[in-house]
Amino acid sequence: MLDKLFYKEKGLFLQSLHPLAALAYLGTLLALALAVTNPLYLLGILLVVALAIRAADGLEAWESYLKIALFMMVLIMIINPLVVHAGKTIIWHGPRVPVFGRLTISLEAICYGAAMGVRLLDIISVFCLYNLMVHPDKALNLFSRFAGKSVLVISLATRMFPAMIRELESIRGVQQMRGVDFGNGSTKEKVRKYSSLVNILLLSSLEGSLEIAESMQARAFGSGPRTCYTRNLWRPRDVLCLSGSAGAMGAGIWGLLHSFGSYTYYPQLDYLISGPGTVAVLLIVVLCLSVPVIIDWGWRRWHYLKSKI
Amino acid sequence: MGVAALALFKIENLIYYYPGAEKPALSGINLGIEEGEFVLVAGASGSGKSSLARVLAGLIPDFYGGRFGGRVYFQGREMRRIDRRKLARQVGMVFQDPEKQLVLTGVEAEIAFGLENLGLPQKEMFRRVAEVISFLGLTELRQEFTATLSGGQKQKLVLAAVLAMQPQVLILDEPTSQLDPVAAEDFFNLVKRLNEEMGFTIILVEQRLERCFHLADRVVIMEEGRVVQDGTPDQSARWAAGRGGSLIPPVARFFSALGFSSLPVTVKEGRRQLRQLFSGWSLGGGPDFRKAPDSPLTGRTPLVGVKNMWFTYANGREALQGINLKVNAGEFVAILGENGAGKSTLLKIMVGLLQPGRGKVMVKGNDISKNNGQHPGRQMAYISQNPNDYLFQDTVEDELLFTLKNFGMEDDGIIDELLEELQIGGYRRVNPRDLSSGERQRVALASVLVTRPELLVLDEPTRGLDYRLKAGLGSFLAGRAAAGAGVVLVTHDVEFAAEYASRVIMMFAGRLVSDGAKHEILGHSVFYSTQIGKLCRGFGDGILTFGEALEKIGPLLSGKTVARAGTLK
Repeated sequence: MLDKLFYKEKGLFLQSLHPLAALAYLGTLLALALAVTNPLYLLGILLVVALAIRAADGLEAWESYLKIALFMMVLIMIINPLVVHAGKTIIWHGPRVPVFGRLTISLEAICYGAAMGVRLLDIISVFCLYNLMVHPDKALNLFSRFAGKSVLVISLATRMFPAMIRELESIRGVQQMRGVDFGNGSTKEKVRKYSSLVNILLLSSLEGSLEIAESMQARAFGSGPRTCYTRNLWRPRDVLCLSGSAGAMGAGIWGLLHSFGSYTYYPQLDYLISGPGTVAVLLIVVLCLSVPVIIDWGWRRWHYLKSKI
Repeated sequence: MGVAALALFKIENLIYYYPGAEKPALSGINLGIEEGEFVLVAGASGSGKSSLARVLAGLIPDFYGGRFGGRVYFQGREMRRIDRRKLARQVGMVFQDPEKQLVLTGVEAEIAFGLENLGLPQKEMFRRVAEVISFLGLTELRQEFTATLSGGQKQKLVLAAVLAMQPQVLILDEPTSQLDPVAAEDFFNLVKRLNEEMGFTIILVEQRLERCFHLADRVVIMEEGRVVQDGTPDQSARWAAGRGGSLIPPVARFFSALGFSSLPVTVKEGRRQLRQLFSGWSLGGGPDFRKAPDSPLTGRTPLVGVKNMWFTYANGREALQGINLKVNAGEFVAILGENGAGKSTLLKIMVGLLQPGRGKVMVKGNDISKNNGQHPGRQMAYISQNPNDYLFQDTVEDELLFTLKNFGMEDDGIIDELLEELQIGGYRRVNPRDLSSGERQRVALASVLVTRPELLVLDEPTRGLDYRLKAGLGSFLAGRAAAGAGVVLVTHDVEFAAEYASRVIMMFAGRLVSDGAKHEILGHSVFYSTQIGKLCRGFGDGILTFGEALEKIGPLLSGKTVARAGTLK
């Protein structure tokens, strides 16, 4: 059930990108989602991410992310107008409530809440996309040149995680059979029961870590300066995708400096499209960000393209 | 000097104490190992064979510390003076549990790990990783995550990671103790190829000798930290036979018990020997072991009854399909089957840790399949695959008291009784985590037996145990069954099932394939049979164990040999 959230090698185009190109792409998406405020831009990014997720064969996985994201989005849309009173267009005067003061719901606050909800959706979806298209080893590999030890620790931790979950499950069963009832008792008792679970896991893991250390020692770990094994290939497709990301980033920054892409919500909603510049920059950003998706589309259809990039 | 120069390893008067230990783990060891040899190191748990392997791999005293005396030479140079990196290029080591040796998330990265540590250039690493992957046939798994591999695949990956470093010597410390028989067989075949075709020097530490005795050029037997026997498999088999024979394969043990001087170590050799002796004879008479024993207990309410039970995991895998099963008091049931057949799932459902999707699970007539989360705890004891899951109290006694307290029971002398019976009385005040694996398992057993359960359910309790410990566990469980408890266990060890169980169930892909008295099931199976069973097929049917073979074939054979000896004179 959980495994569909993790990376799976499916031989897809997006998975074949060099981790540098892939991370640059994801980084651009994330940075833009955080920087722009215009709802059209936020929706544009969402569209691109959704297409990319589809290209990464991950609509099913996205669904589980969406459940959480949509719930939080609704929450933001409800809470924001309740606590923010900056909007001018009041659509409802409510009663006086102790903490919030007089409830006044403004159109601006609702819109702002909605836009921030979309931004949250963007960010969560980018993380979903990351899990779908970047092999964690490859990403770590990129950094292991400068931070070898930290990368190894992260890798060990990720490797141990599924095994520890399995072990915890087994320990829980054993404790149940020894008469520990996890369903009953006061909170304090429950904490005690669960802490002994973790205690057993910790003791076993400590013993295990010694064995792992021994195996690492036997394979010459720490015997001198290390080198770094990498199998990442740099192909024309990486150049294309990297240029796409760079173009989107450039256009985005230029747009923000010339106040396209940003949007004023308070005290009164601004025009959504303040001029042709807004649309032009938006189109350029979306187009540049779509480069990997477009190539993927072609890659699936034409052998010629496959062999050339 | 000439002979000494040939030896790859040379150990002189080695004595070694682990840090804080009062007894030496190794003492008075003198041993030479030559290039290209396949050396099997055998011995009971705690005999020092793993320590010896660690000395040869340079991990003792480098990694462990402790007090060390004597000299160890590798290629004529004293080992402690050899640079660690140089040594790692020459000597590779594979340990017991693959789970505790894999460091990285991906298969390819794992193979390259040792090469990175050696500081090899990129190009060289490419070549070596590629070579090892093709040699071991891991191409399909190249992109996999290590977590998704099976136990056998994991151990193969560990071997690949060591082989990529291109050592001259391969040291294997019980590499198959955590694997099922098929994966173990695969692994040994690979090791044999490495020795015969690639010229690797192999030092194999093992307890399951029936699979590897014949592979070795030399068998070294250890006892209490000393080398007590060192010779060809034939010599060592004869030596061990003279000492009760628990260390040699059942076939060799059988022939030694009959007084033969040359001892076959494989089924093939054994059958050849039998054929020569029996030419023109047909066997009849004698006890037929296949006859089902009378069971006076049928008709009573079974301890556990499973009726048309199905179980499906959340990922949609149907782990169990239409299981029907009854276990009566006094029965000792062994469940056999390959990995993923649903054996462990069945056990968990029987004790109420999992709820079946469909069907009923009756414990002494009460349906437990419906009460979610409630488990019939004190009537049943469950031992999981890992005894460490049980140990977290400060002393052994506290472990037992913990279970008693949870069920609101008093110690009415049961603790003394159990500690005595399981021979762990001396460790009453010792932290269970300081004990050996066999002792830990007995503490785990004691900690669930304090409630005097009527049903004992054990998941692969024989894994990693040596002959002696296995025999101890087997007779303990058989004793419990004789005293009226029901015992159900999952095992891969056919020899164990044949020796101690009364009934055998075989599972395949979520179904029960066969269920019956052990002679009926194992006697008819070609592949799931004991070594003695395979040896005696055609000479005397229905024979499974050493004892039965002695009883049935023994008298005929000894008569025959006496007659032959007479004519020869």
